[in-house]
Amino acid sequence: MYAPVMGLTAAAPIDHAAALTRALVARAQNGDAEAFGELIEDHYDLIHRTAWKWCGNRSDAEDIAQDVCVKLGGAISGFDGRSAFSSWVYRITLNAVRDMQRARGRRAKYAEAYAHVSPEDVPAEQEEAATSSQLWAAVRTLPEKQRDSVLLVYAEELSHAAAADIMGCKEATVSWHIFEARKTLRGLL
Amino acid sequence: MSDDMNDPFKALGQTNVPDARAEAKARARTAGMAAFAAANSEQSKKIQSSAQGSQWRRRLMSIVPSLKGNWIMDMRLPIGTAAIALLVLPLGYQLYSSTSMTPAATPTAVEQAATREPKAATETATTVPAAAPQIAPTDERKEAVVAPPAVTLPITPQQQAAAPAAPAPMADQEMADMAQSPQGLGNSAVLMRAPGLVAESEALYMPAPMPSMVARPNEPSGDQFTRFDEQRLKAVADEPVSTFSIDVDTASYSYVRRQLEDGSLPEPDAVRIEELINYFPYDYAGPTSGDVPFQPSIAVYPTPWNPKTQLLHIGIKGYVPAAGEDKPNNLVFLIDTSGSMDEPDKLPLLKRAFGLLVDQLSGNDTVSIVVYAGSAGVVLEPMVATEKARILAALDQLSAGGSTAGAEGIALAYKLAEQAKIVGGTNRVILATDGDFNVGIDEPEALEDFIKAKRDGGVTLSVLGFGRGNLDDATMQALAQNGNGNASYISNFREAQKVLVEEGGSTLEMIAKDVKVQVEFNPAMVSEYRLIGYETRALNREDFNNDKVDAGDIGAGHTVTAIYEITPVGSGAELVEPLRYGAAAPVAATDVGDEIAFLKMRYKLPDEDVSQLIELAVTPELVHGDIADISDDMRFAAAVAAFGQKLKGSDYGDISWADIRALAQSGRGADESGYRAEFIQLIGDAAILKPDSPIQK
Repeated sequence: MYAPVMGLTAAAPIDHAAALTRALVARAQNGDAEAFGELIEDHYDLIHRTAWKWCGNRSDAEDIAQDVCVKLGGAISGFDGRSAFSSWVYRITLNAVRDMQRARGRRAKYAEAYAHVSPEDVPAEQEEAATSSQLWAAVRTLPEKQRDSVLLVYAEELSHAAAADIMGCKEATVSWHIFEARKTLRGLL
Repeated sequence: MSDDMNDPFKALGQTNVPDARAEAKARARTAGMAAFAAANSEQSKKIQSSAQGSQWRRRLMSIVPSLKGNWIMDMRLPIGTAAIALLVLPLGYQLYSSTSMTPAATPTAVEQAATREPKAATETATTVPAAAPQIAPTDERKEAVVAPPAVTLPITPQQQAAAPAAPAPMADQEMADMAQSPQGLGNSAVLMRAPGLVAESEALYMPAPMPSMVARPNEPSGDQFTRFDEQRLKAVADEPVSTFSIDVDTASYSYVRRQLEDGSLPEPDAVRIEELINYFPYDYAGPTSGDVPFQPSIAVYPTPWNPKTQLLHIGIKGYVPAAGEDKPNNLVFLIDTSGSMDEPDKLPLLKRAFGLLVDQLSGNDTVSIVVYAGSAGVVLEPMVATEKARILAALDQLSAGGSTAGAEGIALAYKLAEQAKIVGGTNRVILATDGDFNVGIDEPEALEDFIKAKRDGGVTLSVLGFGRGNLDDATMQALAQNGNGNASYISNFREAQKVLVEEGGSTLEMIAKDVKVQVEFNPAMVSEYRLIGYETRALNREDFNNDKVDAGDIGAGHTVTAIYEITPVGSGAELVEPLRYGAAAPVAATDVGDEIAFLKMRYKLPDEDVSQLIELAVTPELVHGDIADISDDMRFAAAVAAFGQKLKGSDYGDISWADIRALAQSGRGADESGYRAEFIQLIGDAAILKPDSPIQK
């Protein structure tokens, strides 16, 4: 079912949007603040959406998205274009998620939330219900690499190759992490 | 895999994430723009030292601690480490398996080697900075390679492939690639500029790619044991006399039992056969008065694991004082309360164990408690043992915490013991620990000397070991032996009961000290012999008559068993070739007739310095033709000896687990305490963990 998606890897396409992004990146690297602003404009939704999926709540997602924007501002001059800009953004976003979760020890909280769904976990928003189901909770308790692989491939619907590019590993490793994740969650789902 | 219709993860793709809020987006954009502007202005001014302004800088600093696990962006750091580690770990393993290094010491050695290597690589790195133009195109960027900003630097797919999290085959491939490409090596060298970080991440990553190291049969447990070689076979013509000190310790059996019950084979050095045998109470005939503190029981019977040889079984039972003789005890508990004791099988078990002991004490006994961890302190001044509530309350208050760095812990304990010293009674320090003997005197020798000096002053020392993983059995044994006390390993409550309640009398009350055994074999009857166990207790022949040489002590009611495997002359089982020129004919002062051997035992009464001698000839009347004719106790002891030898992988004896089990069953006897039944269970565990070789049925 992912065969058609396979063609639309984050790394490969030579399409309009990508060409525009490349141009904006080049301009931003030359110090064009307006171009950088446009890049943020274009990618904020991607960042926010990713952060949301990884964290499962609005406030963390917004914090992370802002953090990532700040990081992009500082680091864009170092971006060398060897991977797609969006892959690079993913990577920074995933790192930001990890940093935050490690710093706050959120993962323990999620694991606990998963252990018993208590009344206070009832989501306030409709959207939140979608991302706090048992499946999401289970996936978020996975080890980081497994979680990242699963979410990139299934929630972001990227190909294994694109996920591998983002995660900085081989394609087979992504497949393996997903396999492991499935094994880890066997019996829970 | 992803086409699987039942794939549970598919639902993840159908999630609707709420749209970003415009305010948040605007805020983030502003912040990003500010960072961008700051970075740009810095860059244009070419002030690289504070590259991105203070705010940016701070954010980066905060991820430093998590760098080691932050693999997505930083896997380039461990590339080189992976390479080095792949080299170093097999080397370390080689070192480990081919030298006599103790298991506990080895990981440290590997670690040191691993940390040293990156440093060497670092030095190389400085000489080849040009080898990494791709990563560090300009001087200004070089810092980024090492420092956290590396997060933002791009990575080539090839480099990514070397992510340390990759499974072993990939890492191997990468390793080969690197070996072939000098540039690859250069890169890795440059990337190793932060050796500290590298070493850390290596520790985190490397165990996975080395499955061959994990699958060793005897994984080092972290506990330390004195290394020893098995007693070898000796020809009577060469060495007719065998001398050893008795050993009443039982720590080895508890340790072995625990290992087997947990499903792992104990290290061979942890199996001391004499301690296995002596763990069980045997009903040998004891002396009737305290004048002669013990009496030997001897039998010779066929060896269960070798039809051509015989076992010479020497059983000793200590005198049991009549119930009326209640010797006063002055006990000082010296308790390790370091952080590592905070486990269910350590401090909590210790508290209950000492509770049991306190229950045994009476009105003429005193108890005091000293703890050590961080600082040594007196928890309970010497107190009459009838004040049970107060003693137990003091015990109860103990809690584990802090590092074991107790200065003066042991000195303090001895001071209390001397303060409350009872002349004519038992004055003893009981040290309870999980292996940290850092009790204020650093060098083990100095500690042993200190204990020896105190022992001569009348205060003895017993050691109770708790827990596992940290246990320093070698030191434990050395201290208890120097302190004329016992070393016991308390693995569970049942064991605590055995050591402190059932054997409480013998653990506390010594009836004879420096007990040595010497057996002289008659070369006319015995051609070869081998003492089973007692490897760590061997004495020189001349030590037997030297009262200055220390030896083991025996407590009230203790039983001690020593078993020799002997090869009768002409049995055809000789392993040692006879000498071509023959030996000088032995000059016998008396007519020895057909005596097999002559047993001599030396001991000192508790308050004496001059040894007494017990002598006994082993005559043919003591020989039994069938193992069924001997007592249950002796058969059982033979089964335990066979078990120990098989478990250790002894060079001698060849018997199946089933035969050992049958022999133990036949010698089980009344077994009121159930220890023997437990042993029979243990044979089953061992048989599963170390199956018979296929030749044995």
